[in-house]
Amino acid sequence: MAIELLGYRSWRGKLRAHGWACWPIVRTGLWIVLRRKIFWVLLALGLINFLLNFAGIYIISFLTTQNPNIKKMIGGFLEELLITSGKSEEYLDFMFRQGTVTMLLLAFAGSQLIGGDYQQGGLAFYLSRRIDRRHYVIGKLLTIVSLVLLITTLPALALFFEYGLLSDSLDYLRDNMRILVGIVSYGLIMGVGLSLLLAAIAAWVPRAVPLVMTWACVFILLPVVGENLRHIHGNRMWRLLSFWRDLRLLGKWCLDALVLERDEDRLAYWAAWIVPAICTLCLIAFIRRVRAVEVVR
Amino acid sequence: MSLFELEQVTHFYGRLCALNDVSLRVDPGAVGLVGQNGAGKSTMLKILLGLMRPTAGRGQVLGHDIRKSGVQLRARVGYMPEVEMLVPGLRGVEFVALAGELSGMPRRHALRRAHEVLTYLGLEEARYRHHEEYSVGMKQRLKLAAALVHDPDLLLLDEPTAGLDPEGREAMLELLNTLAVRHGKSLILSTHLLGDIDRVCESVIIVHRGTVVTVGRIEDLRAQYRGRFRLQWQGQALEFLQDLRSEGVQVVVDGRPDEAIAIVPEGWSTRTFFALADNRNMVLCGLQPEMEELEHVYHRLVAAQSPDGARPVIASADGGAPDEFAARRLDGD
Repeated sequence: MAIELLGYRSWRGKLRAHGWACWPIVRTGLWIVLRRKIFWVLLALGLINFLLNFAGIYIISFLTTQNPNIKKMIGGFLEELLITSGKSEEYLDFMFRQGTVTMLLLAFAGSQLIGGDYQQGGLAFYLSRRIDRRHYVIGKLLTIVSLVLLITTLPALALFFEYGLLSDSLDYLRDNMRILVGIVSYGLIMGVGLSLLLAAIAAWVPRAVPLVMTWACVFILLPVVGENLRHIHGNRMWRLLSFWRDLRLLGKWCLDALVLERDEDRLAYWAAWIVPAICTLCLIAFIRRVRAVEVVR
Repeated sequence: MSLFELEQVTHFYGRLCALNDVSLRVDPGAVGLVGQNGAGKSTMLKILLGLMRPTAGRGQVLGHDIRKSGVQLRARVGYMPEVEMLVPGLRGVEFVALAGELSGMPRRHALRRAHEVLTYLGLEEARYRHHEEYSVGMKQRLKLAAALVHDPDLLLLDEPTAGLDPEGREAMLELLNTLAVRHGKSLILSTHLLGDIDRVCESVIIVHRGTVVTVGRIEDLRAQYRGRFRLQWQGQALEFLQDLRSEGVQVVVDGRPDEAIAIVPEGWSTRTFFALADNRNMVLCGLQPEMEELEHVYHRLVAAQSPDGARPVIASADGGAPDEFAARRLDGD
C-alpha cells in the first residue's frame, strides 16, 4: 500500500502573510467559472460585439485616410451600431451591451461561485482554514468583479486605446482622459453593484434555478413594473426601479453623457443614492448569511 | 507544553448553557472527545478551532490564546469535519492544494504537498478526478488530506469513520493510529463510536450536559474497574464458589454453568484462586482479568454524574448505530 511505501513527510516552510488568503479564493472562483462551457459561449457572444467594434474602428480609420467617400456612405450605418467617433456615449453603449452578456453569465455563475458553497459546505471549508469571514467575503466579491471587468471594462479600454492609436495623432488619448476614467469608473460601479447583488441573492437562494429566476425578476420583471408604473403615474422616477438602469445612469454620469433634456441629471442624482443603498443592503445580507454558517455542526 | 488548556470556560447560546465552567488540561497525544448529542462537543471544538469566543473563561491551544489568536491557531490545526465540506467543481488535488493555500502555504508548495498527501492516503490514482465522483470513503480521505496538507500539529477529527464500510473504517482507524503513533500528531477525535476512540486514543474527555465528567488516560479510567476476573472450570464448583464467598469475593454467575465473574477485595492475590481450587480437587481452566469496555466506562461515569442515574444513549463499541440496547444491557435488562 502507498501508506507503507511512502510514509508521511512533514512540511516546514514559511507561511504567507494572512492577507494573501483572498487571492486563492479569487483564483479558484475564476477557475471554476472558466471551466464551464456556458462561460465560453457567453464570452463568445461578448467577443462578437467587441470584435465588431474592433473591426469597425479599424475600417473607419482606414477609410478616413484612404477613401472618405465610401466612409460617408457606410459611416451613418456603422454609427448606429459601433464606436465610430470615439465619443463617450459610444463606449457607454458598448459597455451596456457587454453588461447584458455579463448579467447572463452571472446568473449561471452565481450558483457555482457562491450557491455551491452553501449547498456542499464549501463555505464551512473556507472558514475552517487560516482565514476569517472577511477574507471569504472579499475574495468572492473580487471574483465576481473580475468577471464583470473582464467582459465589460477591459474590452472597452482596448477599444479606447485602439481608437486613440489609429487616429492621426495621440491627441485623442490625451484629450479624452475623462473617457478613460469614466470607463474604469463605470466598470467598477457595475462590478461592485452586480457582485454585491449576486452574492446576496446566491447566498440566500443558492440553488441554480431559483437563483436564475430571482436574478431574472430583478433585471427583467422590475424594469417592466417600473415602466408600467411610469405610464400609469406619469412619473419618470419609477424607472429607477430598474437596477440596471440605475447603474447605466451612474455610468452616464461617469462618462459625462447625461441627457439633460430627459431630466437624466435628476434621475442620476437619485440613482447615486439608490445604488449605494442597495449595495449596502446586499452587503449586510451577504455578511449575515456568511456569519450564520456553522463550521462545526 | 500542554496540547490545550481551558480555564473556567463557559458558553451560552442565548439562555442555553452549552459549556458550563469547563476547566481541563490535555497533554499531546491522541485524545477522544465523547458525549451525547447536545453535550457540548461541537461547542468545545469551535472554541478549540478559534472560531468562537467563549462567553467566559480563557484558554490556549498549542500556546495560542483561544480568545485572540483564532486565525494563527488554525495555521497549526487541521480540521476534518463530519459533514461534507467541499468546494464544488474542483479536482481532488486542486481541493487539497486550495486547503494548503488557505492555510498560508505558497501555491507551489501547496500543490506539491497536495500530491504527497494524496499519495500517502492512497488517493494518488483519483487525484485528478472531480471530487463529486468520489465514493464516501474517498471523500473521507480527501477531507483528511485537506486537514493534513499544511502539516498541522493537531488534528481535530469529527466522526472520521462516519459512513464508512467496515474495511474503510478499519483503514481509516489504522491511518489515524499511524499518524498518532508513528508521526507524533496529536489528535482530538470527536465521535459517538467508542470503539474508534478505544482503538486510536490514549486519553478521553467525556462531556455530559455541558460539563466535563472526566478527562484522563483510558487505562487509568479502566483501573477503577480492576479486581474483576472471569473464572472457568471443569466439574462441580459449588464448594469452591462458597469458599470464594467466605473469603470476601463477590461471585456473579452469568448464565453458563462453568463460568463466573469474581470481584475480589483489595490485596487479593490471584494465586488464592488456584489454592482454593486445589483444596476442592477441581481444575480451574480459565482465569482472565475482565477488561471494562470504554462504553461501560462512559456509562458508569456519566450515570454517576447524572442525579437520576439515567444512562445516555450512545453508539455501540462495534461501530453500529446509536444503540439503546447497549445502555439497557448495562442496566442489567
